[in-house]
Amino acid sequence: MTETLSPAQPLVVEEGEEQRGFAGTNVPRKEDKRLVQGQGVYFDDVKRHGMGYAHFVRSPYAHANITSIDVSKAEALEGVYGTLIGEEVAALTDPFFQLATPPGAHIKDYALAVGKVRHVGEPVAIVVAATRELARDAADLVEVDYEPLGAVTDARRALDPETPVLHEEAGSNLSWEGVYEWGDVEGAFAEADHVVKISELHFDRFNSTPLECDGAVVEYNRGTGQWTIHTNNQFPGFAAIMMGPAMRTGLDKLRFVTQDIGGGFGNKITSHPQLVACCLLARKLHRPINWTEWRTEFHLTMSHGNERWFLDTEVAVKADGTLLGFRTKALDDAGAFLRYEPLGGVIWAQVTPGCYRWRNVRLDFTQVVTNKAPCSPNRGYSRMQHLWFTERMIDIVAHELGLDPVEVRKKNYVKAEEMPYTTPNGCVYDSGDYARMLDVALELIGYEGLAERRADAESRGKLFGFGIGSTLDSGTNNFGQSRLINPELQFSGNNEVATVKLDIFGEIVVTLGTTPQGQSHETTAAIVVADILGVTPDDVNVRAGHDTYWNSHAGFSGTYASQFAVTGLGAVKGAAEKLAGEIKKLGSVILGCPESELELADGFVRMKANAEAALPLMACGAIINANNAGLPEDLDVTLNARYVYRPPFELPDVERKYGNLTLTYAAQVHAALVEVDPETGVYEIVQYAAIDDCGKRIHPQIVEGQVMGATAHALGAATHETFTYDAEGNLLTPNFYDYHVPHAMDMPPLKTGYIESPSPFTALGTKGMGEGGGAGIHAVCAALQDALAPRGRPVVYDSCNPYHRVWELLQDPEASRRRVEVISK
Amino acid sequence: MRLEGEKTFDAPRDTVWRVLNSPEAMAKTMPGVESFDIQDEQHWTANVKIPLGLGGLKVKIRMEKTDEREPEFATLNARGEGVGAIMNMSTAFELSENGPGSTSMKWTADVSIAGPVGSMGQRVLQPIVNQQVGNVLASLEQQVEAAK
Repeated sequence: MTETLSPAQPLVVEEGEEQRGFAGTNVPRKEDKRLVQGQGVYFDDVKRHGMGYAHFVRSPYAHANITSIDVSKAEALEGVYGTLIGEEVAALTDPFFQLATPPGAHIKDYALAVGKVRHVGEPVAIVVAATRELARDAADLVEVDYEPLGAVTDARRALDPETPVLHEEAGSNLSWEGVYEWGDVEGAFAEADHVVKISELHFDRFNSTPLECDGAVVEYNRGTGQWTIHTNNQFPGFAAIMMGPAMRTGLDKLRFVTQDIGGGFGNKITSHPQLVACCLLARKLHRPINWTEWRTEFHLTMSHGNERWFLDTEVAVKADGTLLGFRTKALDDAGAFLRYEPLGGVIWAQVTPGCYRWRNVRLDFTQVVTNKAPCSPNRGYSRMQHLWFTERMIDIVAHELGLDPVEVRKKNYVKAEEMPYTTPNGCVYDSGDYARMLDVALELIGYEGLAERRADAESRGKLFGFGIGSTLDSGTNNFGQSRLINPELQFSGNNEVATVKLDIFGEIVVTLGTTPQGQSHETTAAIVVADILGVTPDDVNVRAGHDTYWNSHAGFSGTYASQFAVTGLGAVKGAAEKLAGEIKKLGSVILGCPESELELADGFVRMKANAEAALPLMACGAIINANNAGLPEDLDVTLNARYVYRPPFELPDVERKYGNLTLTYAAQVHAALVEVDPETGVYEIVQYAAIDDCGKRIHPQIVEGQVMGATAHALGAATHETFTYDAEGNLLTPNFYDYHVPHAMDMPPLKTGYIESPSPFTALGTKGMGEGGGAGIHAVCAALQDALAPRGRPVVYDSCNPYHRVWELLQDPEASRRRVEVISK
Repeated sequence: MRLEGEKTFDAPRDTVWRVLNSPEAMAKTMPGVESFDIQDEQHWTANVKIPLGLGGLKVKIRMEKTDEREPEFATLNARGEGVGAIMNMSTAFELSENGPGSTSMKWTADVSIAGPVGSMGQRVLQPIVNQQVGNVLASLEQQVEAAK
């Protein structure tokens, strides 16, 4: 049963100052009308004369040499326009640039498999035909001969000497490794009263489920040598810098166009190999190419989230529950290629101590390649794994030492009065009050009445459990962190751009550098502009979508990594203020008074002292654009403002791996109640609370929508969503039957609450919050561990706990208990 | 998937060897064989319908004898392709005389199935493979009887 409850009076803990204007109000979303009327324009809505439909021929093997490819039968079929194979790709392009240092740097990654396949579903050829269906049928006529090789699907075996090597050029399956150590780890363990050892924890492989799969319509202009790529790639800036050098072309020859995108969640960052293949085909076949990914292909090959093991973990704890430090070995499974990796090897460090005051940390990070789909960012990218691990440590420590998980958290949380708080690795948590959020969560979940609920569940033969997940959503990357992976990389800082202009009939037109996928940028940008220009959001036209030819864009433009509310709206605010300044400058000339005596309100620039002395914005637009004779020669006003927002970042210290890696830290505290059937392991989440703090909220309903989405995402990952491979590298869960994404009916009764801790570091007090931190994954793990405790105190060691795993824990609790050991002094 | 077993035939070793090395006889042991083609002594091709899914899965299987030591040992590789499935199998058998008129056969088979059918996983495929193996061994016994 699904029932979503929000308190009638939202639980606002920190009331902001009285706000004039539209920020903080739920104005109707600008995007909604066209979307609910079916008038959105997605890439697949773009049709072109003579367009061909591309279908990928994919490897059935996880690891095999390609001995031959014969496309002649496919090409002979009527209606087939042509094909592309790996040998052509290798001749026409260079391998994609690798972010890694050696050995990962030696990996050769092309748009299609060249000579060898390394995961089931890897594209080996493409067939283009007059219809989608024909292309799909013709793909079956492509004859590929393989010589199967042994596969590796278990990261823990990837570096064994007898394990087959995926990329011979790299020498082994190691892609990147690094040691992170901060504080006095040895000292912390010497001081500890208890050392809790956890031999193995595992974070499962899953991804998000955008409603729209990947794809593109690609046109090639033979006259100008330029490609127009209508695509739902969510980070064209990254795609361009990957594609341009590989295709031996300048970035200006790659025009990315998007209007609406049906969800991304990071999964749509790494479609550049497929886009390159489409570009080559558009040029080869002299016709536009449509590639629309099938859902099975998305499951099988696209953008799985990083699977991670935490091995030989040790936690140093004082007798009173004070956490001193931890050390662990993180083993990350990147899949077959490094498409965005090994950045996951540093991104986690944005949240090194989680919500806690751990000062002494050592983490040995090793990343390996395996014969599985390549990983790429997935909502909560790399931090979610680490935060789940952090929370798991907290609860295992609490359970083993007989401490109260609520009290351990409150004791060790970074405190509100310590903000801004510098973590052991130099990140700065900008603001927040985690303990207060936990109180709100406990209130919403009915913590006071827990004993009665437990008794009631037990009277019905159920095991009852309560669990907490407290996480962070670090937003606005300092790309300088990439240098901790590879000091040679010339990336640092961040930026985003917006333009705001006042046109001839008084139209206020905003363009963004971003590529939203449902995050309502048009609405929130309009709110910010309206408040600055003294108009309503209805008066502000935010251009839908993005076109690199017409929208201003900066190097890091895109929609990813929880940042629009900071970088995007920071740029919008900067441009709108610039425009407001110019309007006042013009007003002062026309109205004959100093700018300081003017204000913008109700669609006018007017004198503060005399509202009758006013010039409508429409008149301002008309004067500058079409009626400018007689204006002072030195009046530098165009009413067309562009602003690039650049967050205040320094380069991190590469040697110490120290520095501020992200600007803002939104926080989430979730709480779950579960009831488990002890006979079958089937369980139900019977109550759920999600508390969020993302600083100042521009549009609360949009924030709440993302909180609910992130909660559903986390609950899917906690209960059923997992990409399971067999030893030969077959994906056993390549469809919605085996890979169960939560339906509306699967959602538990959900209560949401919030507090607002404005960020002192951002233009609007906002924080990025779109990813959430995966708090729900941990809340469910903790609740299960609590519920199962009366049955032999099993240890929940995996992030994903389908019913069969809960049943296994019930059947053999000792097997899981062997993972944990407590050494007390 | 690795399978192995041992079977005893009430027949001399030479007879069993002959049956096992006769493509025509072997074709009769394989369930669902729709046609059979012998290229040479080492290479055979069979079109087989495996009882999987609606209407069965049609697979073209190419077989190659890779090693033999008459009359006791041989290995065979088979590779089959059908819509949605690629099967690779390598088998070996070893014949030993149990006494007059009785032969024992130790056999092993490594089977791997790739493609969408492979993604159904061992829990689905293992029973099907076991059933097929059972059928093959039963009809092999009939062929040996007939060849006596």
